[in-house]
Amino acid sequence: MTNTETTQSAPRPSMSMAGKATIDVALRLGGLFAAIVVVALIFIAINPNVANLNMGGSVLRSMSSVAIMALGLTLVIVVGEIDLSFGAIYGLAINSLAVMWIVHGIPVYFAMPLAILVGALVGLFNGMLVTQLKIPSFIVTLGSYNLLYGVTLWVSNTGTFNPAYPPAGKTVPKGELDFFVGLTQSIGSFQLSIEVIWMIAIAIVVGLLLHRSLFGFRLMAIGGNPVAASLARLPVRSYKVMAFVLCGVLAAVAGVLDFSFIQTSQPNTGLSATFPVFAAVIIGGASLSGGKGTVIGTLGGALLLAELQLGLSILSPGAYVQQIFLGAVTIGAVALDLFLTKLRKSRSS
Amino acid sequence: MTPVLERGISLRGVAKAYGATLALAGVDLDLRPGEVLGVAGPNGAGKSTLVRMIAGEERPTLGKLTFDGRSWSPADEWQAVAVVHQEPQLFPNLTVAENVMVGREGSGNSHPVLSAADAAVMDALGIGHLKDKALEDCSLATQQRTEIARAVARDSRVFLFDEPNSALTAEESDELFREIHKLAASGRIVVLVTHRLADFVAHCDRVAVVRDGKVRVILEGDALTEDAIARQLVTESAASLTLAVRDRGHDFAGHPPLFQTLDWTHRTAFSDIAFEGLPGEIIALIGVEGSGARELLRSLAGLEKCTGSIQIGTMSGSVALDMLTAYVPATRQLSLYSNFSVGENLLVRLGYPQIAGAGYMLKMRQMKSLAKAAVSRFLVKTGTTTQPIRSLSGGNQQKVAIAQALHCAPKLLLLEEPTRGVDIHSKAEIYRLLRDYADQGNTVVIFCTEVLEVYEAADRVHVVADGAMAHSLRIADYAQVEQLATDITRLEQESRKDEAA
Repeated sequence: MTNTETTQSAPRPSMSMAGKATIDVALRLGGLFAAIVVVALIFIAINPNVANLNMGGSVLRSMSSVAIMALGLTLVIVVGEIDLSFGAIYGLAINSLAVMWIVHGIPVYFAMPLAILVGALVGLFNGMLVTQLKIPSFIVTLGSYNLLYGVTLWVSNTGTFNPAYPPAGKTVPKGELDFFVGLTQSIGSFQLSIEVIWMIAIAIVVGLLLHRSLFGFRLMAIGGNPVAASLARLPVRSYKVMAFVLCGVLAAVAGVLDFSFIQTSQPNTGLSATFPVFAAVIIGGASLSGGKGTVIGTLGGALLLAELQLGLSILSPGAYVQQIFLGAVTIGAVALDLFLTKLRKSRSS
Repeated sequence: MTPVLERGISLRGVAKAYGATLALAGVDLDLRPGEVLGVAGPNGAGKSTLVRMIAGEERPTLGKLTFDGRSWSPADEWQAVAVVHQEPQLFPNLTVAENVMVGREGSGNSHPVLSAADAAVMDALGIGHLKDKALEDCSLATQQRTEIARAVARDSRVFLFDEPNSALTAEESDELFREIHKLAASGRIVVLVTHRLADFVAHCDRVAVVRDGKVRVILEGDALTEDAIARQLVTESAASLTLAVRDRGHDFAGHPPLFQTLDWTHRTAFSDIAFEGLPGEIIALIGVEGSGARELLRSLAGLEKCTGSIQIGTMSGSVALDMLTAYVPATRQLSLYSNFSVGENLLVRLGYPQIAGAGYMLKMRQMKSLAKAAVSRFLVKTGTTTQPIRSLSGGNQQKVAIAQALHCAPKLLLLEEPTRGVDIHSKAEIYRLLRDYADQGNTVVIFCTEVLEVYEAADRVHVVADGAMAHSLRIADYAQVEQLATDITRLEQESRKDEAA
């Protein structure tokens, strides 16, 4: 061996790689929506009675608040952080709205934006602690989850409120009640709640924000490589704070809408939302390491979960089956994802 | 073929290929017990592949290794080899003694107890009294000693030191070399890899110079001088091209300086630096790790806090640094976004109004055409702009990293080791890009660790040593790179003497 070979930078086979990133996303989503259809067909095969539009409306309604929260969480996860507090924000928004409106008589037109503002402030609090004090977001939001639950118990005085049945001595104007209930009224012959339309509208806005705006582009960049982003002087800190604020706002919005639909506030409401919301985002293909996530994927994840939950509650002998499925589907979706990624990598190399 | 050693390690015809790239092209080398062998070589010459191979982290594609005359595969006998890195690879949360014991705790479930033999090893290295201290609370020098103790305790016979003293003080470094000599004196095989030529001369018995994947020469005895190593490192092999691009499109002589620093002082790395550059110039800063050269470059990007004044064009202070400079880090992992396509990576530093319009919505069509234009302007070899960034070769990824920064249209472009780990063809193209950019009336400053890169890329070079900057050398004054290497080595030696005096 006397000659030293100088290697040229040979371009790799190009056309086969064309648009591979897009194809990856498409495959991932294709798999998810295939699963949604297959699960639906299985339920229908077992019990043909579930195949009706009412059932479809119910599934969409029950996914909507989970989906709205999951969209906010998607933003935080894309930027490479984590938020565990959205369930508590949801509960605090409901209870503070109930107390402001029903107990203190603040008109719902003001109380509602105030409740959403509470969500924004909590998001700001989370974001500032994460970016300024550099406390890991897992710790910050685990703390604020508990902290907010405490505030909720204090604000609500552990009481339950219903605007249609205000406590003794309080009145809720009929116009305000009608307006509030009207927010999520069911319409049409198959009882589709307006909450579903809110969800779709919010998804479109978040979709434009994440996939078509400079904000979303940079959110993806920061989540993909935070060090590079700060060396490139991208606004890493303020964008992270914005993601937490939006997550807080959307959690509060989900709370307000669910309160309008259910009309009863509980002091511990929302706390159990943590798991299904996370599951929806993860099943939707977002990566906990940041830089990856889509609005359509998150919606698909929420839809699959709602479908499983409702289907199993109709068919199954007990709640435990739903719970087992919820866990299994989440782990299974990620395991399948990793397996397919590995398979594609080994094939392309 | 020369016979293999009866005692020690012999490499015969060892080659390593990564795809079509030949990192090692047939290496013959003997590692003898009892001596310190230096391995020198420019980046990308195959030096690190050679070290990784002896450490068992890579298997040879061709050729064989023998140890004491027997065929040997270091990957299967990793206990025999210890690698001491610049950054120790230990368990910071455990104590010094626990670090020495990890992996040899013995059977049973009881918490391991320090044996007398291990304690003796630690005492010999002067870390016995620190045994119960958490490693993360120890100095870097102590951490390295812990790493040595760990290897001695498990009876390693081969010690590879990879830039071990670049972050140590002068005294710590002297003490480290005393330990290195002790290891050699006890009959172990010791290999030293470093960029500091003075350390080779002071501490090695022989120095092997690796270039283009082969051992080109072994210097020993009187032939082993800093100048000789420096010349060997830059001597061009038949296969390499002359990359220098000196034909300037415009001449900016007589223009006022584009940037100027006065009393520019860093907390630890350098002080009182007066540095200026003309438009159209490519200026190199050369210096070993710890010299302050890297920090000086980063300070111009606003990444290191400094006192003193800086003027760029008509602006000054940190505003100028933020608005008018762009920085490209040494490793591509700090520039590129693996979740993004080639096109998105090219555009990531842009904002309103280049890629976003009203309401900060992205201009998708504009982005597509900008990405396509960037691919051809920056000579990126890619099938489409939508393929993943990791599908490109290293050289093309590096072009994307530089293109990101050029898109910001900085007056002052700052790059750390712009062609590290890049093939020779891409190297030439990257130098061309930098030259074209300077020709548009901008200034480019690059931090280099190698004379060859200085010679190929720059108009002027400043040697930085011990936090002080020497007067600059004009590259055009040198007909041969060897002469430049000699002068740079001389300037480094002089500044060390000044420091000592």
